[in-house]
Amino acid sequence: MSAKIQRLAEVDRIIHEPARLMVVALLAAVKEADFRYLHQSTGLTKGNLSVHLCKLEEAGYIVIEKTFRGKYPLTICRLTERGRGALDNYRRIIKGAL
Amino acid sequence: MQNASSLTGSSDPNAVARQLMQRAYNRDGLPEIAMGLIFLLASGIIYARAVLPQESIGFKLAVLAFALLLPFLIFGSPWALEWVRRRYLMERVGYVQRKPIGWRWIALVIVLAALLALALSEAVTRLLLPDRWLLAGTGLLGGALIAWCGRLRRFVIEGVLMAATGVFLAFAGVSLEIGSTMLLGFQGLVTLVSGGVVFLRFMRQPMETGE
Repeated sequence: MSAKIQRLAEVDRIIHEPARLMVVALLAAVKEADFRYLHQSTGLTKGNLSVHLCKLEEAGYIVIEKTFRGKYPLTICRLTERGRGALDNYRRIIKGAL
Repeated sequence: MQNASSLTGSSDPNAVARQLMQRAYNRDGLPEIAMGLIFLLASGIIYARAVLPQESIGFKLAVLAFALLLPFLIFGSPWALEWVRRRYLMERVGYVQRKPIGWRWIALVIVLAALLALALSEAVTRLLLPDRWLLAGTGLLGGALIAWCGRLRRFVIEGVLMAATGVFLAFAGVSLEIGSTMLLGFQGLVTLVSGGVVFLRFMRQPMETGE
């Protein structure tokens, strides 16, 4: 039991942060989503969300693509395989410890 | 703005995603408007079946609509909502591409729903359940389903209202057809008004620009 709890120290701190966990969990559940959808769904401020998206992108957990749909600019975010693996690992550690 | 930590009370990422997506899905009130319209249509069809002579074209159309049109609308409404959102509301609700639902799942749901309907119909015929039990059961089951599926306070209220209406109609001694018409009609109006209010409030929110 203590070994399982000790594994909590290995938790990925990039994902463990609540705001980023929301973003990664949402992106894991969909194929792709744009900035506005994430902003509306998570309730984070735009600045806050931007910072968290940048951190996730730097870690290679998501890819961000700027595009247009007609005249409407889209900042599309997608979870990478690395991000999916990190989320699965995080889920395993948390479930094992609780 | 929502507090991020309050939303992540569960540490299970799946539960977090489900909760967030559920809120996002119901934020503009469109699903309730669609559900309200389907309830009202079902109510009208049941009433037509109750009052029209069995040989009339209207009766046959009502039977066909009940068997084909209603399931089509129920299963097709999520796609229709996505289309409306992408076509007219993307600047407000944002863009999301959901994972495709496998045809196996859709087929499984359709088969299970058909089996359940068959089992219920058989149980009603064999056990000779009185109308009042069926009305109360429909209200209670439907109300529970609405509250469970919506998982928001207003859906719980709508579910409680449906359950209470079903029980009330059961004790009022009306026939099954008229009771079903009243139950679905009332529920349709409640859901439509609730969805309409949510939609109007959503549309009145100032649109934020830039990222």
